[in-house]
Amino acid sequence: MTLYPWRGEFTVGSETSQVAIDTLASRLDFPKEKVAIWGQHKTENLGIEKIMANVISNPNIRYLIICGEEVRGHRSGDSLIALHANGIDGNGRIIGAKGAVPYIENLPPEAITRFREQVEIIDMIGTTDLDKVLEKAGELASRPREPFGEPIIIEFVEREKGSQMKSFEGKIALHKDLVVDPYLEVEELALEAGS
Amino acid sequence: MISFSKEQSILKMGDVTIGGQPGEHPTVLFGTVFYGKKYREPIPEVLDEARRFIRAQEEMSRLTGNPGIVDIFIDSTERIEPRISLVLEEVPGPRPISLDIPETEVRQAALKYAAEAGLSGRVILNSFNLGATEDELAALGEHPPGTAVLLGYNPRDFSADGRVEMIDTGAGYLEKGLMSYAEEFGIGNILLDTGATPFDHNAAETLRAIPVMKNKWGLPTGCAIHNTVESWLWMKGYRKEHRAEYLTCDAGSNALPVVMGGDFCVYGPIRNAGSVFPVVAMVDKFVAEGAEDYFGVTSSEDHPRRKLE
Repeated sequence: MTLYPWRGEFTVGSETSQVAIDTLASRLDFPKEKVAIWGQHKTENLGIEKIMANVISNPNIRYLIICGEEVRGHRSGDSLIALHANGIDGNGRIIGAKGAVPYIENLPPEAITRFREQVEIIDMIGTTDLDKVLEKAGELASRPREPFGEPIIIEFVEREKGSQMKSFEGKIALHKDLVVDPYLEVEELALEAGS
Repeated sequence: MISFSKEQSILKMGDVTIGGQPGEHPTVLFGTVFYGKKYREPIPEVLDEARRFIRAQEEMSRLTGNPGIVDIFIDSTERIEPRISLVLEEVPGPRPISLDIPETEVRQAALKYAAEAGLSGRVILNSFNLGATEDELAALGEHPPGTAVLLGYNPRDFSADGRVEMIDTGAGYLEKGLMSYAEEFGIGNILLDTGATPFDHNAAETLRAIPVMKNKWGLPTGCAIHNTVESWLWMKGYRKEHRAEYLTCDAGSNALPVVMGGDFCVYGPIRNAGSVFPVVAMVDKFVAEGAEDYFGVTSSEDHPRRKLE
Protein backbone atom coordinates (compact mmCIF):
# COMPACT_ATOMS: atom_id res chain seq x y z
CA MET A 1 0.00 0.00 0.00
CA THR A 2 1.29 3.45 -0.86
CA LEU A 3 0.71 5.67 2.12
CA TYR A 4 0.72 9.40 1.55
CA PRO A 5 0.98 9.39 -2.26
CA TRP A 6 1.20 13.16 -2.65
CA ARG A 7 4.56 14.75 -2.00
CA GLY A 8 4.66 17.59 0.45
CA GLU A 9 6.39 19.17 3.39
CA PHE A 10 5.40 16.63 6.00
CA THR A 11 6.87 14.15 8.46
CA VAL A 12 5.54 10.63 8.80
CA GLY A 13 5.19 9.15 12.26
CA SER A 14 3.25 6.07 13.36
CA GLU A 15 1.16 4.41 10.67
CA THR A 16 -1.35 3.23 13.27
CA SER A 17 -1.84 6.56 15.03
CA GLN A 18 -5.27 8.04 14.48
CA VAL A 19 -4.11 11.65 14.78
CA ALA A 20 -2.77 13.88 12.00
CA ILE A 21 -1.65 17.46 12.64
CA ASP A 22 -1.67 20.44 10.29
CA THR A 23 0.65 23.10 11.74
CA LEU A 24 -0.24 25.80 9.19
CA ALA A 25 2.51 28.47 9.09
CA SER A 26 4.26 27.20 12.22
CA ARG A 27 7.09 24.72 12.42
CA LEU A 28 6.31 22.17 15.12
CA ASP A 29 7.76 18.72 15.65
CA PHE A 30 6.08 15.82 17.39
CA PRO A 31 7.09 12.42 18.79
CA LYS A 32 6.78 9.99 15.88
CA GLU A 33 5.06 7.34 17.96
CA LYS A 34 2.17 9.65 18.84
CA VAL A 35 1.22 11.19 15.51
CA ALA A 36 0.55 9.63 12.10
CA ILE A 37 1.66 12.55 9.94
CA TRP A 38 2.22 16.26 10.45
CA GLY A 39 3.49 19.25 8.55
CA GLN A 40 3.04 22.84 7.50
CA HIS A 41 0.28 23.93 5.19
CA LYS A 42 0.57 27.18 3.27
CA THR A 43 -2.10 27.39 0.60
CA GLU A 44 -5.87 27.28 0.56
CA ASN A 45 -6.01 25.24 -2.65
CA LEU A 46 -3.10 22.94 -3.54
CA GLY A 47 -2.11 22.56 0.11
CA ILE A 48 -5.57 21.40 1.11
CA GLU A 49 -5.65 18.96 -1.79
CA LYS A 50 -2.40 17.38 -0.58
CA ILE A 51 -3.72 17.03 2.96
CA MET A 52 -6.92 15.37 1.78
CA ALA A 53 -5.17 12.99 -0.62
CA ASN A 54 -2.71 11.89 2.05
CA VAL A 55 -5.20 11.59 4.91
CA ILE A 56 -7.58 9.33 3.00
CA SER A 57 -4.68 7.04 2.08
CA ASN A 58 -4.44 6.03 5.75
CA PRO A 59 -7.84 5.00 7.19
CA ASN A 60 -6.30 4.88 10.68
CA ILE A 61 -6.33 8.67 10.74
CA ARG A 62 -9.60 9.75 12.37
CA TYR A 63 -8.66 13.10 13.85
CA LEU A 64 -7.03 16.09 12.21
CA ILE A 65 -5.74 18.81 14.52
CA ILE A 66 -5.29 22.20 12.85
CA CYS A 67 -2.96 24.34 14.90
CA GLY A 68 -0.17 26.90 14.58
CA GLU A 69 -0.25 30.39 13.18
CA GLU A 70 -2.84 30.96 10.47
CA VAL A 71 -1.34 31.70 7.06
CA ARG A 72 -1.80 35.40 6.46
CA GLY A 73 -4.07 36.20 3.58
CA HIS A 74 -4.43 32.64 2.41
CA ARG A 75 -6.40 31.68 5.55
CA SER A 76 -5.44 28.08 4.84
CA GLY A 77 -6.67 26.76 8.20
CA ASP A 78 -9.98 28.55 7.95
CA SER A 79 -10.38 27.22 4.41
CA LEU A 80 -9.71 23.62 5.47
CA ILE A 81 -12.28 23.90 8.26
CA ALA A 82 -14.78 25.39 5.80
CA LEU A 83 -14.13 22.56 3.36
CA HIS A 84 -14.71 19.95 6.03
CA ALA A 85 -17.89 21.65 7.21
CA ASN A 86 -19.42 22.70 3.89
CA GLY A 87 -17.66 20.99 0.98
CA ILE A 88 -17.32 22.71 -2.39
CA ASP A 89 -19.80 24.29 -4.76
CA GLY A 90 -20.33 23.30 -8.38
CA ASN A 91 -17.40 25.44 -9.43
CA GLY A 92 -14.88 23.89 -7.05
CA ARG A 93 -14.95 26.79 -4.60
CA ILE A 94 -14.83 25.88 -0.91
CA ILE A 95 -18.15 27.04 0.49
CA GLY A 96 -17.71 29.70 3.15
CA ALA A 97 -13.91 29.92 2.89
CA LYS A 98 -12.38 33.32 3.43
CA GLY A 99 -9.01 32.52 1.82
CA ALA A 100 -7.79 34.23 -1.32
CA VAL A 101 -8.34 31.50 -3.93
CA PRO A 102 -10.06 28.57 -2.18
CA TYR A 103 -10.61 26.15 -5.05
CA ILE A 104 -10.29 22.35 -5.17
CA GLU A 105 -9.68 21.10 -8.69
CA ASN A 106 -7.44 18.05 -8.58
CA LEU A 107 -9.43 15.60 -6.46
CA PRO A 108 -12.61 13.72 -7.38
CA PRO A 109 -15.77 14.44 -5.36
CA GLU A 110 -15.63 11.02 -3.69
CA ALA A 111 -12.23 11.87 -2.22
CA ILE A 112 -13.64 15.02 -0.67
CA THR A 113 -16.65 13.18 0.69
CA ARG A 114 -14.40 10.47 2.11
CA PHE A 115 -12.15 13.06 3.79
CA ARG A 116 -15.10 14.81 5.39
CA GLU A 117 -16.47 11.54 6.71
CA GLN A 118 -13.18 9.98 7.76
CA VAL A 119 -11.80 12.66 10.05
CA GLU A 120 -13.01 14.92 12.78
CA ILE A 121 -11.41 18.35 12.73
CA ILE A 122 -10.04 19.83 15.93
CA ASP A 123 -9.69 23.59 15.54
CA MET A 124 -6.62 24.80 17.45
CA ILE A 125 -5.70 27.57 15.03
CA GLY A 126 -3.45 30.07 16.78
CA THR A 127 -2.04 27.52 19.23
CA THR A 128 1.72 27.14 18.88
CA ASP A 129 2.33 25.60 22.28
CA LEU A 130 3.68 22.14 21.52
CA ASP A 131 2.63 20.74 24.90
CA LYS A 132 -0.96 21.87 24.45
CA VAL A 133 -1.17 20.29 21.02
CA LEU A 134 0.40 17.08 22.29
CA GLU A 135 -1.99 17.02 25.20
CA LYS A 136 -4.89 17.23 22.77
CA ALA A 137 -3.34 14.51 20.59
CA GLY A 138 -3.04 12.28 23.66
CA GLU A 139 -6.65 12.92 24.59
CA LEU A 140 -7.76 11.98 21.09
CA ALA A 141 -5.65 8.83 21.19
CA SER A 142 -7.60 7.77 24.26
CA ARG A 143 -10.78 7.90 22.20
CA PRO A 144 -10.01 5.07 19.81
CA ARG A 145 -12.03 4.65 16.64
CA GLU A 146 -12.10 1.89 14.10
CA PRO A 147 -10.15 2.49 10.89
CA PHE A 148 -12.38 4.09 8.26
CA GLY A 149 -12.68 1.32 5.67
CA GLU A 150 -10.13 0.73 2.97
CA PRO A 151 -7.43 3.20 1.96
CA ILE A 152 -8.19 5.43 -0.97
CA ILE A 153 -5.14 6.18 -3.05
CA ILE A 154 -5.47 9.14 -5.37
CA GLU A 155 -2.37 9.19 -7.49
CA PHE A 156 -0.99 12.63 -8.21
CA VAL A 157 -1.92 13.32 -11.81
CA GLU A 158 1.14 13.94 -13.86
CA ARG A 159 0.58 16.87 -16.16
CA GLU A 160 -0.02 15.95 -19.73
CA LYS A 161 3.16 16.08 -21.71
CA GLY A 162 3.10 18.48 -24.60
CA SER A 163 3.47 17.31 -28.17
CA GLN A 164 3.64 20.57 -29.98
CA MET A 165 6.56 22.44 -31.35
CA LYS A 166 5.92 25.83 -29.88
CA SER A 167 7.77 28.60 -31.54
CA PHE A 168 8.09 32.32 -31.34
CA GLU A 169 8.31 32.71 -35.12
CA GLY A 170 5.78 34.94 -36.77
CA LYS A 171 4.61 36.49 -33.54
CA ILE A 172 7.85 36.94 -31.71
CA ALA A 173 11.20 37.13 -33.41
CA LEU A 174 14.30 35.62 -31.89
CA HIS A 175 16.48 35.27 -34.96
CA LYS A 176 15.94 35.48 -38.71
CA ASP A 177 16.77 31.79 -39.21
CA LEU A 178 14.18 30.51 -36.76
CA VAL A 179 11.33 29.78 -39.10
CA VAL A 180 8.79 27.45 -37.54
CA ASP A 181 5.05 27.91 -37.65
CA PRO A 182 3.59 28.44 -34.20
CA TYR A 183 1.84 25.41 -32.68
CA LEU A 184 2.87 23.16 -35.55
CA GLU A 185 2.59 19.52 -34.51
CA VAL A 186 5.97 17.86 -34.09
CA GLU A 187 4.85 14.98 -36.26
CA GLU A 188 3.90 17.29 -39.11
CA LEU A 189 7.20 19.07 -38.76
CA ALA A 190 9.08 15.80 -39.05
CA LEU A 191 7.09 14.89 -42.15
CA GLU A 192 7.85 18.23 -43.71
CA ALA A 193 11.51 17.84 -42.90
CA GLY A 194 11.53 14.43 -44.56
CA SER A 195 9.65 15.47 -47.68
CA MET B 1 16.54 39.07 -26.88
CA ILE B 2 13.06 38.79 -28.35
CA SER B 3 10.82 41.30 -30.02
CA PHE B 4 7.08 41.27 -30.55
CA SER B 5 5.31 41.99 -33.81
CA LYS B 6 2.31 42.98 -31.73
CA GLU B 7 2.46 46.63 -30.67
CA GLN B 8 3.43 46.84 -27.00
CA SER B 9 1.70 49.49 -24.88
CA ILE B 10 3.78 51.80 -22.73
CA LEU B 11 1.95 52.83 -19.57
CA LYS B 12 2.58 55.71 -17.20
CA MET B 13 1.85 55.02 -13.55
CA GLY B 14 2.71 58.28 -11.83
CA ASP B 15 6.45 58.72 -12.38
CA VAL B 16 6.92 55.09 -13.43
CA THR B 17 6.98 54.05 -17.06
CA ILE B 18 6.39 50.39 -17.86
CA GLY B 19 6.04 48.24 -20.95
CA GLY B 20 7.04 48.48 -24.57
CA GLN B 21 9.32 46.12 -26.44
CA PRO B 22 11.88 44.19 -24.40
CA GLY B 23 14.84 46.45 -23.75
CA GLU B 24 12.88 49.64 -24.18
CA HIS B 25 12.08 50.43 -20.53
CA PRO B 26 13.63 49.08 -17.34
CA THR B 27 11.96 46.20 -15.54
CA VAL B 28 9.74 47.46 -12.72
CA LEU B 29 10.27 45.75 -9.37
CA PHE B 30 7.63 45.35 -6.69
CA GLY B 31 8.96 44.71 -3.17
CA THR B 32 6.47 43.63 -0.52
CA VAL B 33 6.45 45.25 2.90
CA PHE B 34 4.60 44.18 6.07
CA TYR B 35 4.48 40.47 5.21
CA GLY B 36 5.31 38.60 8.39
CA LYS B 37 3.95 38.12 11.85
CA LYS B 38 6.34 40.66 13.36
CA TYR B 39 4.28 43.38 11.70
CA ARG B 40 1.09 42.27 13.40
CA GLU B 41 1.53 44.81 16.16
CA PRO B 42 2.71 48.36 15.32
CA ILE B 43 5.95 48.13 17.31
CA PRO B 44 8.01 51.30 16.67
CA GLU B 45 11.29 49.43 16.06
CA VAL B 46 9.63 47.14 13.55
CA LEU B 47 7.97 50.02 11.74
CA ASP B 48 11.31 51.84 11.63
CA GLU B 49 12.80 48.75 10.05
CA ALA B 50 10.02 48.78 7.44
CA ARG B 51 10.84 52.40 6.66
CA ARG B 52 14.52 51.51 6.23
CA PHE B 53 13.62 48.73 3.81
CA ILE B 54 11.46 51.10 1.76
CA ARG B 55 14.28 53.65 1.60
CA ALA B 56 16.74 50.92 0.67
CA GLN B 57 14.55 49.89 -2.27
CA GLU B 58 14.30 53.52 -3.32
CA GLU B 59 18.08 53.80 -3.18
CA MET B 60 18.54 50.67 -5.30
CA SER B 61 16.01 52.08 -7.74
CA ARG B 62 17.93 55.36 -7.97
CA LEU B 63 21.18 53.48 -8.41
CA THR B 64 20.10 51.04 -11.12
CA GLY B 65 17.28 52.86 -12.90
CA ASN B 66 14.84 50.01 -12.27
CA PRO B 67 11.71 51.60 -10.81
CA GLY B 68 10.83 50.20 -7.39
CA ILE B 69 7.24 50.06 -6.24
CA VAL B 70 6.28 49.36 -2.65
CA ASP B 71 3.81 46.51 -2.50
CA ILE B 72 1.87 46.89 0.76
CA PHE B 73 0.64 43.65 2.30
CA ILE B 74 -2.63 44.21 4.12
CA ASP B 75 -4.47 41.39 5.86
CA SER B 76 -7.16 43.22 7.83
CA THR B 77 -9.30 46.32 7.43
CA GLU B 78 -7.83 48.00 10.51
CA ARG B 79 -4.35 47.82 8.97
CA ILE B 80 -5.34 49.62 5.76
CA GLU B 81 -4.91 53.21 6.89
CA PRO B 82 -1.79 52.91 9.08
CA ARG B 83 0.14 50.83 6.57
CA ILE B 84 -0.71 52.99 3.58
CA SER B 85 0.03 56.15 5.56
CA LEU B 86 3.46 54.92 6.59
CA VAL B 87 4.39 54.06 3.03
CA LEU B 88 3.12 57.39 1.71
CA GLU B 89 5.41 59.14 4.19
CA GLU B 90 8.37 57.36 2.61
CA VAL B 91 7.40 57.22 -1.04
CA PRO B 92 7.53 60.44 -3.01
CA GLY B 93 4.47 61.33 -5.05
CA PRO B 94 3.38 60.64 -7.68
CA ARG B 95 5.02 57.25 -7.30
CA PRO B 96 2.27 54.60 -7.28
CA ILE B 97 1.70 52.23 -4.39
CA SER B 98 0.71 48.62 -4.80
CA LEU B 99 -1.87 47.02 -2.53
CA ASP B 100 -1.31 43.30 -1.97
CA ILE B 101 -4.54 42.17 -0.31
CA PRO B 102 -5.47 38.48 -0.43
CA GLU B 103 -8.94 38.76 1.13
CA THR B 104 -11.80 40.18 -0.87
CA GLU B 105 -13.51 42.00 2.02
CA VAL B 106 -10.27 43.82 2.82
CA ARG B 107 -9.73 44.65 -0.85
CA GLN B 108 -13.17 46.23 -1.00
CA ALA B 109 -12.48 48.31 2.10
CA ALA B 110 -9.10 49.40 0.73
CA LEU B 111 -10.62 50.53 -2.58
CA LYS B 112 -13.13 52.63 -0.66
CA TYR B 113 -10.44 54.03 1.62
CA ALA B 114 -8.23 54.96 -1.34
CA ALA B 115 -11.11 56.73 -3.06
CA GLU B 116 -12.00 58.73 0.04
CA ALA B 117 -8.36 59.66 0.57
CA GLY B 118 -7.99 60.79 -3.04
CA LEU B 119 -5.44 58.05 -3.70
CA SER B 120 -7.19 55.89 -6.27
CA GLY B 121 -5.06 57.18 -9.12
CA ARG B 122 -1.87 56.15 -7.33
CA VAL B 123 -3.14 52.71 -6.38
CA ILE B 124 -2.12 49.51 -8.13
CA LEU B 125 -4.53 46.78 -7.09
CA ASN B 126 -2.47 43.60 -6.73
CA SER B 127 -4.43 41.73 -7.73
CA PHE B 128 -7.79 41.43 -9.44
CA ASN B 129 -8.33 37.68 -9.60
CA LEU B 130 -10.83 34.84 -9.66
CA GLY B 131 -11.44 35.30 -5.93
CA ALA B 132 -13.40 38.49 -6.65
CA THR B 133 -16.95 38.33 -5.31
CA GLU B 134 -20.00 40.21 -6.54
CA ASP B 135 -19.40 42.75 -3.79
CA GLU B 136 -15.82 43.22 -4.92
CA LEU B 137 -16.90 43.70 -8.52
CA ALA B 138 -19.31 46.37 -7.31
CA ALA B 139 -16.55 48.04 -5.27
CA LEU B 140 -14.25 48.04 -8.29
CA GLY B 141 -16.97 49.65 -10.39
CA GLU B 142 -17.55 52.30 -7.76
CA HIS B 143 -13.93 53.00 -6.81
CA PRO B 144 -11.69 51.87 -9.68
CA PRO B 145 -7.98 52.03 -8.96
CA GLY B 146 -5.61 53.75 -11.36
CA THR B 147 -3.97 50.43 -12.14
CA ALA B 148 -5.01 46.82 -11.68
CA VAL B 149 -2.91 43.69 -11.96
CA LEU B 150 -5.00 40.96 -13.58
CA LEU B 151 -3.95 37.56 -12.24
CA GLY B 152 -3.96 34.64 -14.64
CA TYR B 153 -3.96 31.98 -11.93
CA ASN B 154 -6.44 29.34 -13.07
CA PRO B 155 -6.69 26.38 -10.66
CA ARG B 156 -8.35 24.25 -13.34
CA ASP B 157 -5.69 24.71 -15.98
CA PHE B 158 -2.11 25.76 -15.27
CA SER B 159 -1.07 25.78 -18.92
CA ALA B 160 -0.21 29.09 -20.56
CA ASP B 161 -3.51 28.85 -22.41
CA GLY B 162 -5.39 28.27 -19.15
CA ARG B 163 -3.84 31.37 -17.65
CA VAL B 164 -4.80 33.37 -20.71
CA GLU B 165 -8.33 32.00 -20.46
CA MET B 166 -8.69 33.25 -16.89
CA ILE B 167 -8.07 36.79 -18.05
CA ASP B 168 -9.85 36.44 -21.38
CA THR B 169 -13.06 34.63 -20.43
CA GLY B 170 -13.06 34.06 -16.67
CA ALA B 171 -12.43 30.34 -17.31
CA GLY B 172 -15.89 29.46 -16.03
CA TYR B 173 -15.23 30.96 -12.60
CA LEU B 174 -16.45 34.43 -13.48
CA GLU B 175 -19.18 35.51 -15.85
CA LYS B 176 -16.60 37.16 -18.08
CA GLY B 177 -12.89 37.68 -18.28
CA LEU B 178 -10.94 39.84 -15.88
CA MET B 179 -9.97 41.99 -18.86
CA SER B 180 -13.60 42.70 -19.73
CA TYR B 181 -14.38 43.68 -16.16
CA ALA B 182 -11.33 45.93 -15.90
CA GLU B 183 -12.26 47.71 -19.11
CA GLU B 184 -15.87 48.02 -18.00
CA PHE B 185 -14.77 49.59 -14.70
CA GLY B 186 -12.64 52.12 -16.57
CA ILE B 187 -9.38 51.05 -14.99
CA GLY B 188 -6.84 53.09 -16.92
CA ASN B 189 -3.74 50.94 -16.61
CA ILE B 190 -3.79 47.18 -16.80
CA LEU B 191 -0.88 44.91 -15.94
CA LEU B 192 -0.95 41.16 -16.45
CA ASP B 193 0.44 38.68 -13.91
CA THR B 194 0.74 35.16 -15.26
CA GLY B 195 0.23 33.67 -11.75
CA ALA B 196 3.24 31.71 -10.48
CA THR B 197 2.69 28.03 -9.66
CA PRO B 198 4.94 25.55 -7.83
CA PHE B 199 7.27 23.05 -9.47
CA ASP B 200 5.29 20.00 -10.67
CA HIS B 201 2.33 22.31 -11.18
CA ASN B 202 3.40 23.64 -14.55
CA ALA B 203 5.79 26.16 -13.04
CA ALA B 204 7.44 26.85 -16.40
CA GLU B 205 4.07 27.76 -17.90
CA THR B 206 4.21 30.81 -15.64
CA LEU B 207 7.11 31.97 -17.79
CA ARG B 208 5.79 30.72 -21.13
CA ALA B 209 2.62 32.71 -20.55
CA ILE B 210 4.58 35.96 -20.49
CA PRO B 211 5.29 36.19 -24.24
CA VAL B 212 1.92 34.58 -24.97
CA MET B 213 0.05 37.30 -23.08
CA LYS B 214 2.21 40.09 -24.45
CA ASN B 215 1.55 38.76 -27.91
CA LYS B 216 -2.19 38.66 -27.30
CA TRP B 217 -2.77 41.93 -25.50
CA GLY B 218 0.42 43.96 -25.88
CA LEU B 219 0.21 44.93 -22.22
CA PRO B 220 2.96 44.96 -19.57
CA THR B 221 3.25 41.44 -18.20
CA GLY B 222 5.16 39.84 -15.35
CA CYS B 223 4.85 37.52 -12.38
CA ALA B 224 6.03 36.70 -8.88
CA ILE B 225 8.25 33.79 -9.90
CA HIS B 226 10.13 33.86 -6.58
CA ASN B 227 7.08 32.08 -5.14
CA THR B 228 8.04 28.99 -7.14
CA VAL B 229 11.45 28.99 -5.44
CA GLU B 230 9.81 29.65 -2.07
CA SER B 231 7.58 26.58 -2.45
CA TRP B 232 10.33 24.28 -3.80
CA LEU B 233 10.24 21.25 -1.51
CA TRP B 234 13.94 20.36 -1.71
CA MET B 235 14.95 23.95 -1.15
CA LYS B 236 12.81 24.16 1.98
CA GLY B 237 15.11 21.65 3.59
CA TYR B 238 18.35 22.91 2.04
CA ARG B 239 17.75 26.52 2.98
CA LYS B 240 17.70 25.72 6.68
CA GLU B 241 21.48 25.37 6.57
CA HIS B 242 22.18 27.37 3.42
CA ARG B 243 20.36 30.68 3.67
CA ALA B 244 22.75 32.59 1.41
CA GLU B 245 22.38 30.01 -1.33
CA TYR B 246 18.61 30.15 -1.01
CA LEU B 247 18.65 33.92 -1.35
CA THR B 248 20.81 33.57 -4.45
CA CYS B 249 18.17 31.35 -6.04
CA ASP B 250 15.39 33.63 -4.85
CA ALA B 251 16.99 36.73 -6.33
CA GLY B 252 18.20 34.89 -9.44
CA SER B 253 14.72 33.66 -10.28
CA ASN B 254 13.79 37.22 -11.17
CA ALA B 255 16.07 36.97 -14.19
CA LEU B 256 13.71 34.49 -15.83
CA PRO B 257 10.64 36.69 -16.50
CA VAL B 258 12.91 39.39 -17.89
CA VAL B 259 14.54 37.02 -20.35
CA MET B 260 11.07 35.92 -21.43
CA GLY B 261 10.20 39.49 -22.34
CA GLY B 262 8.49 40.44 -19.08
CA ASP B 263 8.05 43.98 -17.83
CA PHE B 264 7.84 43.56 -14.07
CA CYS B 265 8.71 41.22 -11.22
CA VAL B 266 6.98 40.98 -7.86
CA TYR B 267 10.12 39.87 -6.07
CA GLY B 268 8.88 39.16 -2.54
CA PRO B 269 10.12 40.69 0.71
CA ILE B 270 11.33 44.23 0.19
CA ARG B 271 14.33 43.52 2.41
CA ASN B 272 15.77 41.57 -0.54
CA ALA B 273 15.98 44.67 -2.74
CA GLY B 274 19.78 44.77 -2.36
CA SER B 275 20.21 41.40 -4.05
CA VAL B 276 17.32 41.55 -6.53
CA PHE B 277 17.91 44.92 -8.19
CA PRO B 278 21.47 44.18 -9.41
CA VAL B 279 20.38 40.83 -10.87
CA VAL B 280 17.51 42.40 -12.78
CA ALA B 281 19.59 45.38 -13.85
CA MET B 282 22.18 42.98 -15.25
CA VAL B 283 19.58 41.01 -17.20
CA ASP B 284 18.02 44.25 -18.39
CA LYS B 285 21.40 45.20 -19.82
CA PHE B 286 21.66 41.90 -21.70
CA VAL B 287 18.12 42.19 -23.02
CA ALA B 288 18.49 45.84 -24.01
CA GLU B 289 21.83 45.33 -25.69
CA GLY B 290 20.43 42.40 -27.64
CA ALA B 291 17.33 44.39 -28.54
CA GLU B 292 19.40 47.28 -29.82
CA ASP B 293 21.98 45.15 -31.64
CA TYR B 294 19.44 43.03 -33.46
CA PHE B 295 16.14 44.86 -33.54
CA GLY B 296 17.29 48.47 -33.25
CA VAL B 297 15.30 49.07 -30.06
CA THR B 298 16.49 52.15 -28.19
CA SER B 299 16.51 52.00 -24.41
CA SER B 300 15.11 54.84 -22.36
CA GLU B 301 17.51 57.30 -20.73
CA ASP B 302 17.09 55.81 -17.27
CA HIS B 303 17.58 52.20 -18.39
CA PRO B 304 20.36 50.20 -16.71
CA ARG B 305 21.78 49.75 -20.21
CA ARG B 306 22.63 53.44 -20.23
CA LYS B 307 22.89 54.14 -16.54
CA LEU B 308 25.23 51.33 -15.50
CA GLU B 309 28.18 51.28 -17.88
